[in-house]
Formats: sequence, C-alpha cells, structure tokens
Amino acid sequence: MFGYIKIYKNELLVREYEAYKSVYCGLCKKIGKDYSFISRMLLSYDCTFYAVFLMSLKRSCSGFYTGRCRFNPFKKCSYCECGGDALSKAAAVNVILAYYKLLDDISDSGFFKRIVLKIIKPFFSRPRKKACKKFPEIDRLAKEMLNAQQKTEKNPDCTLDMAAHPTAEFLASLLESEGCGNDGRIYRRIGYGLGRFIYLADAADDYEKDIKSGSFNPFKPYGDNLAEIINNNLSSSLAMAYDAYNLLNLVDFKGIIDNVILKGLPTVQSEISEKFEVKNEKSV
Amino acid sequence: MKNPYEVLGVSPSASEDEIKAAYRELAKKYHPDKYTDSPLADVAEEKMKEVNEAYDEIMNSKKSGSQGYSSSSYTNTSSEYYNVRMLIQQNRLDEAERILDSETGPDHKAEWYFLRGMCYFRRGWMQQAVQYFQRACQMEPNNAEYRQALENMSRRQSYGFGGYNTAGAGTQSDCGVCDICATAMCLNCLCNCCR
Repeated sequence: MFGYIKIYKNELLVREYEAYKSVYCGLCKKIGKDYSFISRMLLSYDCTFYAVFLMSLKRSCSGFYTGRCRFNPFKKCSYCECGGDALSKAAAVNVILAYYKLLDDISDSGFFKRIVLKIIKPFFSRPRKKACKKFPEIDRLAKEMLNAQQKTEKNPDCTLDMAAHPTAEFLASLLESEGCGNDGRIYRRIGYGLGRFIYLADAADDYEKDIKSGSFNPFKPYGDNLAEIINNNLSSSLAMAYDAYNLLNLVDFKGIIDNVILKGLPTVQSEISEKFEVKNEKSV
Repeated sequence: MKNPYEVLGVSPSASEDEIKAAYRELAKKYHPDKYTDSPLADVAEEKMKEVNEAYDEIMNSKKSGSQGYSSSSYTNTSSEYYNVRMLIQQNRLDEAERILDSETGPDHKAEWYFLRGMCYFRRGWMQQAVQYFQRACQMEPNNAEYRQALENMSRRQSYGFGGYNTAGAGTQSDCGVCDICATAMCLNCLCNCCR
C-alpha cells in the first residue's frame, strides 16, 4: 500500500517541484546514512510527503545544498537540510513500514514466493532494528497496525470501515504525536482521513486481483455499485482530511501540501475509479 | 492576545477593503457550517472567534462601524438522548456508544440511528455513518436535523476530482508578493524567448 500520496506535477510551480524533489533526495540520502544503501531503494512517496508535512509543521527546513546523486554520479541534485528530526523520522518510518509490509507479504504469498521473500528478509530487518532503537514508538504503532489488520481481515463480518481502521489509526496516531492539545487533534483527523484514503485506494486498486485469488477485500460485499461506493468513500476520507487541514495555518511547503491534497490524491482516486467505470460499460 | 493583523494575515497598512476581503476569506474557511458534526467543530469555532475578535479590534481602532458575525451552533434542547448528545459533543465517543449499545431490541428510534451514525462519523467510519443516517432519515423523513446530517455526508462524498477545484478556489486565490515576482519572472522568460 505504498505510493498513493503523490504530487500532481503539472500543477506545481517549478520552485515547488524543485523543493519537493530536494526533500525526496534529502530523505534518500538520510536513509543511506542512517541505514543501508539497499534501504534507499525502498524510499516511497508517502514518506516523502510525511517529511514535507513534518517540516512544514515544525518549520524546520533549514535550506538546500547541491551534491552528487549516488545512483547517477553524473547528475547533480539539490538536497534539503532539516534542522529538526523530520528527515530522520521519515527515514525511520520508511524502513519500518517496508519491513512490516514484507512480513505481511510473506504471510500472504505462496510457497515459492515466500522462500524468495524470506531470503531477502535480513535486508529489511536489520535497518528496522536500527530504526526501532531510535523511534520505538513508531515501531510499536506499526506492529499494532499489522496485528490489527490481520485480525480484522479474519473476522467474517468485517465491514469496510473496520478494515480501513488499522491503517487510518496508524497514521492518525503517528501524526497526533507531533502536536498537543487542539493541534494534536487536528493532525489526528488529517492522519485518519489520509490513512483511510490510502487503505481504501489500495484495496480498490487490488480488487480484481483479490477477487481472482480469493483473498480478502473490503469492497467484496458491494459488487453491484462498486464504482459509487469506492468514489464515495475515497471522497469522504479526503474531505475529512481536507477540512481538518484547513484549520492549520501552514506557511512552508504549503503549495506542495495543497497540491497533494487537492490535486494529487483526487487524481489517484479518478485513476482508480476509471478502471471500474470502464468495466461497467463493458459489462453493459 | 495575538496581533490582530497577523490573525487576518494582512499588513498593518492594509486598506479597509483588503481587511474586509481577508476577513471574509477566513470566515468562509472556518465557517461553522463546514464543521457541523465534525469533532473539530470547537477548534473551528475558536479560530472563528479569534478572527472575529481580530477583525473587530482592527475596525474599532480604525474608528469605523464594526460588523458582527453570528455563529450558528447546533444544539437540541429537549431530547431523550440528551446525555448521549453531550458526550458526543465532548468527543467521549466510547461512553456514548456504550450507552447507545446497551439499548437492546430491534426497534430503535430514529434518533438512536442518528446518534449511532454520528458516533461512527466522528470516528471517521463514513460508510457505516451513511447507512445509519439513511436509516434515521427513512424513519423520520421530516426531521431537519437528520436530513442535514445526511446532506453533509453526501456533500463530503462528492468532493471528487472536479468538486475539489471549487472547494479549494477560495484558498488558492490569495495573490502574494511571491506570485507577483513569479509572474514577472515568467513573463521575462517569455520575452527573452521571443528575442
């Protein structure tokens, strides 16, 4: 369930796009420094957004510098610097989530794939252990999410809301810890909405695959008007995050965050729902 | 207290029209109607109050007529579920749900469905919330409160790719100094191209 929180590049200003890219590169470098070269390859857009959001909340972005990219030494990149712990936190979230995603995949996949995944597991578990030492709270939340997820999916009368709850709750708690009082509550609501959106978008994206293989999918009971249910739920999750987000007065990276919430996520939604609308027309 | 000019996001030398425009923009942003039923309603209300106070203070200091703003909040005075409503309003959802769920029997009242839906809504469980609101509306189609809740839900559900643009138009229209600079730079680039 990675890579849904994206920017909509066409609508970003060039300077905003460059700032976004330098956060991406800065985070990549940070992962390489804190963990391993291999972990760098697992960098996701979601964690980039998380880093952007944290830096905006704390106003901790302290500037940019240029350097060489490890993957392409001929290319010069701009890297973002962070005065607080936003980058190291985002790096930790990235490796921790990658590890738990792998665990989830291992329990879901067949015999041969399982063996392959088990062979590469040490590359995931070592960085995760390191990250766990730094941010034990994040690891605890992620573990809780995975356990709750596996439990709810086994529950025979699991509703759509119940299925989305663990992921949403994870992001809600993760963001809530960044502020106290009303701010914490606002962050929580944003996190819950976004988390719910990610989970449901992923579930809708995998719908065909899940139906074929007979695995769990929260949209299964809504076979008749699937497109409508998917759209309604994705939209209301976004609306929830957006309404809460409107109560914040962010300054740094505001253009990027606005772009993600108002353009990037709706684009993801329309790409996913298009699939279902086309299918409906065919069947008619 | 915060600097009223900072609250409204205008410079102290701003004209009255600019202040009014900024105020209107913020009033739209934090309007209580947008946050009815939301667990963050109190935060929005606080922000609205802050904006109102800032606006009044600036306008008073400018010695011109002040404009009031009445915020509408939703309260229902006589209700069987008064305590549940209070709990929901204070975001004590576990307690509210416990009271509601302790009521057994298949024949619940419309208000029960409404309040149960409200608990789900506040938790962010939108699909369930819609179903409960719909049930409440089916049972009492003439109840304005239930209908309002359902309408709010369907408004949120239609925040789609197209709908967002209009929703976000207000927040995007602020034209700052940076925008002017950026525009000038773009224009400059274009002119250079033609040469």
